[in-house]
Amino acid sequence: MVFRSGFGRVLSRGLATEVGVGGSGSVGRFKTFKIYRWNPDKPAEKPRLQSYDVNLDECGPMVLDALIKIKNEQDSTLTFRRSCREGICGSCAMNINGRNTLACLCKIDQDERKNLKVYPLPHMYVVKDLVPDLTNFYKQYKSVQPYLQRTAKPADGKENLQSIDDRKKLDGLYECILCACCSTACPSYWWNNEQYLGPAVLMQAYRWIIDSRDEATAKRKDMLQNSMSVYRCHTIMNCTKTCPKGLNPGRAIAEIKKALATS
Amino acid sequence: MMRTFSSVVRIGAKRGFQQSALRSLTIPFLPSLPQAPGGVKGDVNEAYIPPSPTKLHGSYHWNLERAVAVATIPLVGIPLVSGGNVSVMFDSLLGAVMLAHCFVGFQSCIIDYIPERVYGKFHNYAVYLLGLGSVISGVGIYKMVSEDYGLVGLTKSLWKAKSGDAREEKKN
Repeated sequence: MVFRSGFGRVLSRGLATEVGVGGSGSVGRFKTFKIYRWNPDKPAEKPRLQSYDVNLDECGPMVLDALIKIKNEQDSTLTFRRSCREGICGSCAMNINGRNTLACLCKIDQDERKNLKVYPLPHMYVVKDLVPDLTNFYKQYKSVQPYLQRTAKPADGKENLQSIDDRKKLDGLYECILCACCSTACPSYWWNNEQYLGPAVLMQAYRWIIDSRDEATAKRKDMLQNSMSVYRCHTIMNCTKTCPKGLNPGRAIAEIKKALATS
Repeated sequence: MMRTFSSVVRIGAKRGFQQSALRSLTIPFLPSLPQAPGGVKGDVNEAYIPPSPTKLHGSYHWNLERAVAVATIPLVGIPLVSGGNVSVMFDSLLGAVMLAHCFVGFQSCIIDYIPERVYGKFHNYAVYLLGLGSVISGVGIYKMVSEDYGLVGLTKSLWKAKSGDAREEKKN
């Protein structure tokens, strides 16, 4: 009798625990996401942080999964950019727990007692919620003329050939997806983003300066010969620290300075 | 100043951005120029136009900056190692290089934080003030080197004074 009641108690406790861990009608592991909100339709209202509780048991591993889950289930007005969900488009760049990164590459800290804060890229004009205005960034990118410039057509009429060593110089530069994480992490870019080009754009400038097939190198270097475009870089290296693709814009800027110093 | 700020906000509101950051960016006691909404001048599809190329403000300036910074290493290091017995020539060279190093550093601060784009003529005033301060410092260094112990001697005397005090304290 004692044994049976004891067994029953163990069994019921076991069941209760199991339901608590997995099942659909469970309590769940709720983590609080605090997300920056600002609505352009009500410009007089100050930006605020809005809290959302997300059940981690029913959510994918990345912050972008949580954002999409919130937008689907809790608040359809939450606005953010996203596209590829695998770190190749650069749309979902945002400031997560104080670090600029791609939401789709940033794992959610599974400790549900800690809040997770999401802000738009720092020091950018905000269009809505987590969407920054990147117009100036793209205008700056356009100014470095990021395309091959040659006077002569290739000898065989098909391809501009390049040695393997020359091609290797482009590794670590061409992978940049222009998510603007590095530029918006740079204090110099915060103060002077209208004139300083910023790490992302400068890295692309360097990518075209060292391309052996390009014939506009002198013109490209000449464009950077002023106090604002490059030389506002004070080697703070936030760019390299934050890059979600593991690239090194700080090194590229240093190489530009070296190339300019000897030209 | 308040009027320029509100006009900035009004222009900004046309493009519909969150704008509160601008207020915390400007120096409160300096009047600032109205800025393009969203930091965007002209059409959104036009490329940004950089300042006209001037090597004096570009690579020459940077090279000089680095040369001065590297030159301070032996100029400060040698007196530290040798115990401070250096010639007047060496001392005046150290003074000149240190002054140049400080000038370039403060100039960089002014370009960063009091940019012409935002403060207009006040950028120039800040540069003039820096120039004036540097000239006064230059005269001060000249007087120190020519009439007194010089930079290295002054630094050395700081240690001497302390050790003198210590001896006196021991005697007492």
